[in-house]
Amino acid sequence: MLAAGALVRPPFIFFDLETTGLSGGAGTHAFLVGCGWFDDEGGFVTRQYVMTRYADERPLLGTVAGELARAGALVSFNGKSFDAPVLETRYLFHRLEWAGARLPHLDVLHPARAFWGDRSCSLGALEQQQLGARRAGDVPGCEIPARYFQFVRSGDARPLAAVLEHNRLDLLSLAGLAARLLRLVRAGAAASSDSREALALGRVYARAGLEARAYEAYECAVRTATASSGAIASDALRALACLSRRAKRYADAAEYWQQVLGLRGCPPSIAREASEALAIHHEHRVRDLAEAKRFALQSLENGMHTAWAEAGRHRLARIEKKIDRRLATGD
Amino acid sequence: MADHLMETRALESRSRRDGALDAALERLAPGHLPERPDTPDLHVTAVRRLPAVAAQYAPFPAGLDERLRHALATRGISQLYTHQAETIDHALAGRNAVVITPTASGKTLCYNAPVLHSILQDPSSRALYLFPTKALAQDQLAELQGLCETLAAGSGGEIGVFTYDGDTPQDARRTIRARAHLVLSNPDMLHSGILPHHPRWAKLFENLRYVVVDELHAYRGVFGSHLCNVLRRLRRICRHYGSNPVFLCSSATIANPRELAERLTEQPFELVDTSGAPRGEKYFVFVNPPVVNQQLGIRRSYLSETRRIASEFLKRNLQIIVFAQSRLSTEILTTYLKDDFEGVPGAPERIRGYRGGYLPRRRREIEKGLREGAVRAVVSTNALELGIDIGALDVSVMAGYPGTIASTWQRAGRAGRRASRSAAVMVASSAPIDQFVVRNPAFFFNASPERALIDPDNLHILVDHIKCAAFELPFTTSDAFGGHDLQEILGILAEQGLVHLDTSGQYTWTNESYPADAVSLRSVSSDNFVIVDTTQESRVIGETDFTSGPATLHPKAIYIVEGKLYHVERLDFEGRKAFVREIDCDYYTTAITYSRVTILDTFAQSDDQRAGVGAERARPAHGEVHVVSRVVGFKKIKFYTNENVGSGELDLPEQQMHTTAYWLTVPAPLMALLPYAADDRRDGIVGLAFAMKQVAQLLLMSDGHDIGISIDTPGSTGSTDSRIFVYDNYPGGIGFSEPLYRMHDELVAGTHRLIAECECENGCPACVGPVGNTGPLAKIAALRILDRLMTNRFAMEGTGVQKA
Repeated sequence: MLAAGALVRPPFIFFDLETTGLSGGAGTHAFLVGCGWFDDEGGFVTRQYVMTRYADERPLLGTVAGELARAGALVSFNGKSFDAPVLETRYLFHRLEWAGARLPHLDVLHPARAFWGDRSCSLGALEQQQLGARRAGDVPGCEIPARYFQFVRSGDARPLAAVLEHNRLDLLSLAGLAARLLRLVRAGAAASSDSREALALGRVYARAGLEARAYEAYECAVRTATASSGAIASDALRALACLSRRAKRYADAAEYWQQVLGLRGCPPSIAREASEALAIHHEHRVRDLAEAKRFALQSLENGMHTAWAEAGRHRLARIEKKIDRRLATGD
Repeated sequence: MADHLMETRALESRSRRDGALDAALERLAPGHLPERPDTPDLHVTAVRRLPAVAAQYAPFPAGLDERLRHALATRGISQLYTHQAETIDHALAGRNAVVITPTASGKTLCYNAPVLHSILQDPSSRALYLFPTKALAQDQLAELQGLCETLAAGSGGEIGVFTYDGDTPQDARRTIRARAHLVLSNPDMLHSGILPHHPRWAKLFENLRYVVVDELHAYRGVFGSHLCNVLRRLRRICRHYGSNPVFLCSSATIANPRELAERLTEQPFELVDTSGAPRGEKYFVFVNPPVVNQQLGIRRSYLSETRRIASEFLKRNLQIIVFAQSRLSTEILTTYLKDDFEGVPGAPERIRGYRGGYLPRRRREIEKGLREGAVRAVVSTNALELGIDIGALDVSVMAGYPGTIASTWQRAGRAGRRASRSAAVMVASSAPIDQFVVRNPAFFFNASPERALIDPDNLHILVDHIKCAAFELPFTTSDAFGGHDLQEILGILAEQGLVHLDTSGQYTWTNESYPADAVSLRSVSSDNFVIVDTTQESRVIGETDFTSGPATLHPKAIYIVEGKLYHVERLDFEGRKAFVREIDCDYYTTAITYSRVTILDTFAQSDDQRAGVGAERARPAHGEVHVVSRVVGFKKIKFYTNENVGSGELDLPEQQMHTTAYWLTVPAPLMALLPYAADDRRDGIVGLAFAMKQVAQLLLMSDGHDIGISIDTPGSTGSTDSRIFVYDNYPGGIGFSEPLYRMHDELVAGTHRLIAECECENGCPACVGPVGNTGPLAKIAALRILDRLMTNRFAMEGTGVQKA
């Protein structure tokens, strides 16, 4: 559900790379490939592959491919934009097939942004906030390539020990965050700790087609939203209105839009959308032209974008014409 | 019936245009059409008629794919010009070819035909097209896609044609890599976006059959030296993937197209230099603005003169392009013509400016306006000199000599319809080089165009590309790359920690950086300044490269975009931003730059007898130098009158570089022979340097900013001798200094001719510089120094240049 529609099934293999640079391209190597998985007893196993000589890259990739072959899905943190492309380039460089291409890939960064996005979303920050983890003497990411180059030149592997530990902790945190997300999704909105989590859950359910659970989560988000999270309430109400309209429950949809307009601190773009939707609703369904005109005018007040304003003016003109016609025919 | 009517109308409009053109030319040079002898001293110094040339056709090469021939016929091409057939023959036989193509001669077919043929024969074939600018690639895309659609309709199968450059969205890139048969790109993107990611382009490099290099002549100097190295990297990657592409190049007329192609690609080439395309009749007119002050040698402003001439054509509803020498003069001329011809505000703009630094959308809009005829005049820098499709215009007016014979013909070629008459007018400025050309029309019309020079083994450039190449594929201990000892260079890179030699004998890249990012192919630094308009809300209105930043964007400078004036309020040098605000004023600004040169190493110096006798001999030399330059102030110049209405001092950071230079030492004993005071002798050296730079530029086919000049006068360096430096304005040098040293005799003779033939009394901007800048005796003193150099040279005739 979290992997944006892709069918994700166990066994999950968590993976994380340490590389010789951040830019990608033919000269950027993954010198350490860390893999982790849960074994049958529920223990978390990590296995790390280190490239001790550049000449060994090809056999290393071959072994990693064997490891990945038994995965049902890959799990990473920011791996879709970084780790997977870097690894893919290494496979392409050696004219080997990149196993990751065929596997579903859950990048925890994206749901993490949706669930906890109001705070910093680096792995380090998340593991502190969500898992309460602390690292002692961790090697900063920016020092890692230099340590590897030092090892390559001197043959002394000691500077790499801290890098291996860093990579192992990254895998553990990744597994911890993934577990927390999966538990939330399984438990539902009641288990959410704030309105943002509830809203994010609603979106996950809505995408998966679980409407009842989505309603429940959105309602929960509206209920638990505080004054400081007004934008979350309006997002949740908007989502509810859209769900209702799609289910052809137009009166419910109108009700949610009304609530949007009643919110304090509602972003103007959503307010405009709400009054526009209400104008349409009153023009075409309720056929209350006076109300329709009132909302159309309101949407123009909120409309900043010229294209919207243009459409709004067009609607207003049409409504006014209809009103005139009704007056003329004494309707 | 309808056809007949249309044909009649076309004929009418053609003869109407011809009539209008004749009338405008008659105003310009009364009673002298169609042709007349040159008159160096008159206002119009030359009128040449270039007769119409009939087309020469050749049959399609026998082996060409039937489907392609059919598709071409569908699009109205049923026979080929001779140069097209010849080039296609070479390409199909697997021979590298370079074709010389005047504007509008159908050069694209020369390479599109063999490329598409190869794809029709084997759908796995790939081709890479390199254009010097993104705009040119965009321009070609439409034509190629049209042809491929016709082919697909004739069941030739889908052929993917895509541009791949800095503007290509990230999410489209994967699709393009998978689907493109033809990739249209530019050297910069190949350098920083394709080669470093070659594993993702494996399909392209495995199957690369053709590499097309369009507008080959654009790759000279720094840019060409870089391109040569990028192509070395490309061929290295191709070898890795087992392909060996054929190179097809097109070039404007230069003296050494085959040599340039062979130097750039390090491959043998066939040359196709006879065009079979038809040409309409064309008049070429040289105009020298009249002298308004004999004593100071001041001529009427060439910009005003250009404005007057452009108006003659515009008035008669002819569509024109005006080429200006700089961004600044482009803006000034745009302002002038808008003043004269732009209708009420809000009406469609009939007069447009065009130059680098405008945003792409604005440029596309102007190009379209030109093709459709809504834009009647465009004032452009050299940005429109290359093959952007702007349709065929009636007249090309050049404000100032473009600097080289090759680019003058290119610009003239922007006017010219196949069937009707066209004209090109060159209006000389008071710059010495312009005056030399306008007063010696035969020099221009009879001379062969210039040679394009590159120096791909410039150590700075070569080492940069060796880094990039090491990132792309490890080097081995037996590899070579470029003209220097690769193993030695790799040894140095290893010491710097950039590469590491492992036990398997491979040098692997061991650095976090992405070396291509640090190397810009076009200028000293990949940096540029952006110009932010803060008049209302902040928005970016343009950009300019790093080197010209300080001179054009210093505080209080006036920056101009399409005739709108902006005042620079603040230059954030570190952040590379200039903050400007719209202003209404009647002046513009020019910067004053100060430079100082120190000799580091002398590579060669002329032998004793050559340029003088005993202690009086002047010594030409070339070698390595250190240049420090700084923008120290600016002048305010009033529009139209060009009066100096104020100035200011500036405190901007110094720019430093190591480069190569040619220099001429004029010893104190020689100077002592001159019957003038010390100050006047010094003026002579200043004037001589001024004139020498112009002649050097002419001899080297270089742009004005490719070379710099500086002088040492007695006392300034502790030496009693005077020295004139002409240096390569690029770190490490770009290969001008040695040729210039070898051309020392021509340089001295040309400079003498330039100054001696000038009509002014005491020096003017056309020879030794304006009197205000030099002293009253500068001209005569410079001539006396040159006399000494020449006399001694003639006395020693036959000694020749001896190389060190």
